[in-house]
Amino acid sequence: MGTINSAFSLISQGLDADQAALSVVANNVANASTPGYTEEIPDWQENQPININGVSYGDGVTETGSTSVRDNVLNERLDQQQQLASASSARLTALNTVQALFTPDSGSSSSKAGDIGSDLTNFFSSLSTLENESTNNADRQDVLSTASTLAGDISSAADSLNSQRSALDQEAAGVTSQVNSLTSAIAQLNQQIMSTSPDADAGTLEDQRQQDLSQLSQLIGINQVTTENNGLEITTTSGQLLVSNDASVQMTNGTVNGVTDFFFGGADITSQLASGGGSLGGYLTARDVDIPSVLNSLDQLAYGISTSVNAQNNAGTDLDGVSGTPTAPLNIFNQPTAVSGSAANMSVVMTDPNQIAAAGLGDGTGDNSNAIAMANLAKQSLFEASPTTVFSVTQNLNASTPLGGSTTGSMQLYDSLGNSHNAAITYTNEGANTWGYSISMPDSLTPDTSVAKQVSYSFGSGETVNPETNLTITGNTANGTATIAAPAVTAGEAVGSAGPPATGYVAALDAALTAKGITGVSVANTGGVLTIAGATATSGNVIADPAASANATGTLTFDANGKLVSPAANVSGITFAGLSDGAAALNLQWALYAPNGTASISQTAAGSSQSAQSQNGFASETNGPTPTDYYSNFVSTLGATVSGVQTENTAQTASVTQLQTQNDALSSVNLDDEASSLTTLERSYQAASQVFTTLNTIIASALNLGEETTVS
Amino acid sequence: MESSPAGMKGKRGIEESEARWVHPKLKELVVEASRSLARLDADRLEELALSCQALNRDLAPASTAQRAELARQAREAAGDIATFSRVLEVTRANLNVMKRLRDLRAGRLEYGQDRWSRTETEHGDN
Repeated sequence: MGTINSAFSLISQGLDADQAALSVVANNVANASTPGYTEEIPDWQENQPININGVSYGDGVTETGSTSVRDNVLNERLDQQQQLASASSARLTALNTVQALFTPDSGSSSSKAGDIGSDLTNFFSSLSTLENESTNNADRQDVLSTASTLAGDISSAADSLNSQRSALDQEAAGVTSQVNSLTSAIAQLNQQIMSTSPDADAGTLEDQRQQDLSQLSQLIGINQVTTENNGLEITTTSGQLLVSNDASVQMTNGTVNGVTDFFFGGADITSQLASGGGSLGGYLTARDVDIPSVLNSLDQLAYGISTSVNAQNNAGTDLDGVSGTPTAPLNIFNQPTAVSGSAANMSVVMTDPNQIAAAGLGDGTGDNSNAIAMANLAKQSLFEASPTTVFSVTQNLNASTPLGGSTTGSMQLYDSLGNSHNAAITYTNEGANTWGYSISMPDSLTPDTSVAKQVSYSFGSGETVNPETNLTITGNTANGTATIAAPAVTAGEAVGSAGPPATGYVAALDAALTAKGITGVSVANTGGVLTIAGATATSGNVIADPAASANATGTLTFDANGKLVSPAANVSGITFAGLSDGAAALNLQWALYAPNGTASISQTAAGSSQSAQSQNGFASETNGPTPTDYYSNFVSTLGATVSGVQTENTAQTASVTQLQTQNDALSSVNLDDEASSLTTLERSYQAASQVFTTLNTIIASALNLGEETTVS
Repeated sequence: MESSPAGMKGKRGIEESEARWVHPKLKELVVEASRSLARLDADRLEELALSCQALNRDLAPASTAQRAELARQAREAAGDIATFSRVLEVTRANLNVMKRLRDLRAGRLEYGQDRWSRTETEHGDN
């Protein structure tokens, strides 16, 4: 009986296995149109052989379940390409909107941002017209009218850009809840997969997890690592943990400086997310890089035109015989105080066309020399007056620095005469996440030895003696000669005078000379010139500290996560005046809240912009573009950026399509097998390579040999 | 004759005809190649490869006007060629991934733990 039962059992098991396999096939067919469904293949397991009368017979097979045909490596590659495609797609959408803003609208009579190029031409043309008949009221009115159109279009473009930036900010903020929802769902699926299928494919559960991963990849850049028992760990591309098996970490957001920043565990990772991929990366890149860059270009244009035209108008005489003064300027445009915001605030403030100063200073009102000068601004660079150098001043304020301890960063500045100075920023730990800062700029004095047996050092107005001064003086004594080392200097010590009573550094030198028994050496300060006469030799450096504005010192306060919370605005108006060489005051502004998250210090124009242009470190615009060229370059640059992102997006989308095709062939329900799919991929690549190589030959030949001909 | 208006018109007509010689337009061809590669249409890409070879052959005896026209078209298609180049680049990366996967899977099938870990008695043929 056992033998017969065994034989029946063998047949029966074979039939059951076939039935189970049929069920799996049926399941595949039923799910053929289910997104993300992965084909299952039946698992067959050989049964223990049966021993009949000492002879071992095969015991057939049992269907033990099903395994999904998937490849995690391919899925991961697909996810990576999807996050790149999503990022470029989101960025491209934003850039296309920006580009559309600057596309001329030939079909509309109403002015708009796309007409800025023609607005510039019209404005300067109206000034040229005024040259011919400088007292003509209609021509004067036309100047104000074209100026108004230009200002309106520029400010409207800036408004539109700011609105678009806000819209992108909202889009970006909305991603937070989607990310959190998906990471929670993945953590739950991990928990189920780890408990039910720790050693095998979990079928539909893994399908769901893969779908969630795919969606997450489209939102932010992620990395994934398979852990024990079929678990999964997900991090952002910059390493922040999103999911660890059955636990997820929630992303939060908050408003910082008017825009939404993103946090994990309190750390602000906005800049990392911007470069990480996914649609959030695209939104943030457009919001924090692309649009600010366009706005900055527009600000530069508005600033250049407004300041230059106003300056020129104030250099002439208007129809009523009046010339502009600092207290009563004759400004055509609203005078900007800084480059930033110039475009949004650009407007025409002049209402009386008689105030256009067509005549030269001191010339009769019928003169047109200043109108010619204003019209000529169209042929000149308007961007010479604002050379700016930005210094990177990254400094690690280590919290382990003892209370009262300090750390110093340095940067090289150039004054208006082109002389370099090493400025230092010293940060002192004042406790409770607070650091004091102090910016100093030692001014090394050049000794003047033009008078025999005399050396002198010229201090600038308000300059004090720097503690690094190491002057030595050798002079005669009763027994021969002796040398004194520089007396100690306290920060901020004045040069002083020989008195009586002697004061400051002069008094300290005098005392040191006396103490050493040196005679015949006199020290004096005459109008800021420290003179040492009668010495047999001097050496070392006398270093001065320029007078600085109050803003050169201050306090920085950070929150518990190391994010700067105070001061709330940038520090500007840091001034080093009275330099020894007669250079104009150095003006600095400290951008604590730069858009890219990196603080920087900018050296704004010194007193002489002409000399500043030749200085190392200044952004020279000596041969800068005219207003129309500047605008044209700006539009071209924008177009090139859009084109580059378009290319990337096309390539990445193509890559996703190709990988999806391969993945479908491997894991979805269709009749193509993997080998055939790979062959198609190889064939396509080889044929495309052939197309590209041949095209390259054709184009090289055409471009090298082809000559542009004109048909006569 | 050539300096007469009629002669000028005749010459213009010939050169315009030559200028239209390049078919299909280079830009269209490149865009089509990118699209076909994106969807892995191997048949279409092989057709395009043949078209390019034919175009290259025709270029040898081409006139100056024809070459100038082709040069103009090449400049017009510069952006699309850059795109095609990038698509080709990502395709090569994808092909490398797929080939490595195939090798990996082939290795698993041949040397995979499932096969090697089984004992002889489990095979049922003893």
